[in-house]
Amino acid sequence: MDFGSFLAAPEIKVKVVTYRDIFQDKAMIENLFGDEYKHISAVITLDSADLKQLNVKKGDTVILKNSFGRVVVRAEESGYEPSHRGIAYMPKSSWSNMLVSDETCGKGIPRFQDISLTVTSAKGEKVTELEF
Amino acid sequence: MENNYHVCTGCSLLCDDIEVEYGTETINKIYTACRVGVAHMKESKEKVTFLVDNKPVDEEKALSETVKILKNAKNPLIFGLGASTNEAQKQAIELGKKINATIDDSSSFCFGSVVEALVTNKIKTCTLEDVRNKGDVIIFWGSNPADSHPRHLSKHSYFPRGSEKQRGWEEERTAIAIDIRKSHTAKICGNYFIQIPQGGDVELIDALISGLSGKLPKTSYNYPPKKILELANILKGAKFGIIFVGPGLIYSLENLAPLFRLMQALNEKSNFHLVPMVGNCNMRGFNENLFTETGYVNSVKFENGIVKHGSEYSIVESLKAKTVDAALIIGSDPFSSLPRSIAKSLLEIPIISMGPSETLTTKKAKVHINTAISGVESGGSAIRMDGTLVSFKPIVETKNPLEEYILKRIMEAL
Ligand code: SF4
Repeated sequence: MDFGSFLAAPEIKVKVVTYRDIFQDKAMIENLFGDEYKHISAVITLDSADLKQLNVKKGDTVILKNSFGRVVVRAEESGYEPSHRGIAYMPKSSWSNMLVSDETCGKGIPRFQDISLTVTSAKGEKVTELEF
Repeated sequence: MENNYHVCTGCSLLCDDIEVEYGTETINKIYTACRVGVAHMKESKEKVTFLVDNKPVDEEKALSETVKILKNAKNPLIFGLGASTNEAQKQAIELGKKINATIDDSSSFCFGSVVEALVTNKIKTCTLEDVRNKGDVIIFWGSNPADSHPRHLSKHSYFPRGSEKQRGWEEERTAIAIDIRKSHTAKICGNYFIQIPQGGDVELIDALISGLSGKLPKTSYNYPPKKILELANILKGAKFGIIFVGPGLIYSLENLAPLFRLMQALNEKSNFHLVPMVGNCNMRGFNENLFTETGYVNSVKFENGIVKHGSEYSIVESLKAKTVDAALIIGSDPFSSLPRSIAKSLLEIPIISMGPSETLTTKKAKVHINTAISGVESGGSAIRMDGTLVSFKPIVETKNPLEEYILKRIMEAL
């Protein structure tokens, strides 16, 4: 029996910065419900030290959770970006929008750039489907 | 010689130098457009045009359902229109007046305030041709055109030769990126990338203003003062500077006062302009058309000839307060673009959607009308990010109805 599966998976807290990606925009125009769009959008880029702490390899799925939602996305390791422990990057999409607060202070502007959440290994759980 | 160039409506650059080679039935090849533009122009497909409850119906049935929903609504919301032609936008505004609607677009949660400041001449601006011909210091602040407007750097802002910039980017232009993440644009800017922490924009603005007047610039996140002074010196020396403002900066400002301060300080020392990196091909058009009609760029409520305005009439606050009781969504997908915690209120009201592609919104709509793609399948005009009017003709033929036609038919039926 694998006793490891009873142990709580390591969890980290991150702040998420969302961004636009040309490949994602192209895939969205071609098919919002296609695999290419999902592959490029349902992803979080983490610092290699954060990935190590989570005991997650790049390409594995992770659970992102806060009081607004829970999604499973693919984890990626940052490439050219300078070290960014505690900050994670996500392309702006339905997946990132599942984690954005509804607090707007009456101004009509959601806090798209103020997303805090926890990340844990999804232990093989599949990426959340795009549906409402 | 006849000009055979087409306009791409893939983003608010509205590139007007697109060459298209036709096959026997459809587009064979597209030259000059970027990856996004090519996908946009090849998007054209004949589809089932009218759906009610996700089942195909004829035009009359779809229109009668639409009219029924709008007649039953006390406060219908008209939302979207960022990818519509000016002509369709004006028609939608007329419809809004007729049915006492709340009308808004995605600028209410992004560039609306900046466009308002531009149309009311509160901020100095310029055209993209000015940038190409004269621009010497170009700042991308919270914007990343390498991904969002792929031909921005090559056609206008950095790489091209211009009439007064014959030696181009190698010697005569300095591009600076200010962002919280090292974007692809920041990579191109090389050493002129200033990475700040989330929400650190206002402090950098004030530090730069200090630097411009020779004072020691300070930030709570200890950005090296020497680097800020160096940057301030570059800005001071600009003969024709431009700030391309992106959502990254907008989202970190409580209001536009810091931006006004910065533009004033820059223009006391040099010559600076501001252009918003508007996303959709005609979001700026919507803002300007609504402004002409009502004096406001977004978040408007029509009430028996009176125009009300305020953030309570934005899509976000209307959904949160549940004040709208039906939604006509045109060329937009709020189920994807809004936080789910807010968009879920749309599930409680009947939705009529119009647009060329299948989205989460079309799937949830009571009525869906598959309309022609503006600029690809329909002609008309749109307003570029810099306020320039661009006219276009269709690139391919379609049987899908134009938004303008459907909106007119709804008006008649009402
Ligand atoms: S930059 Fe924008 S307008 Fe130009 S070709 Fe690409 S998508 Fe079309």
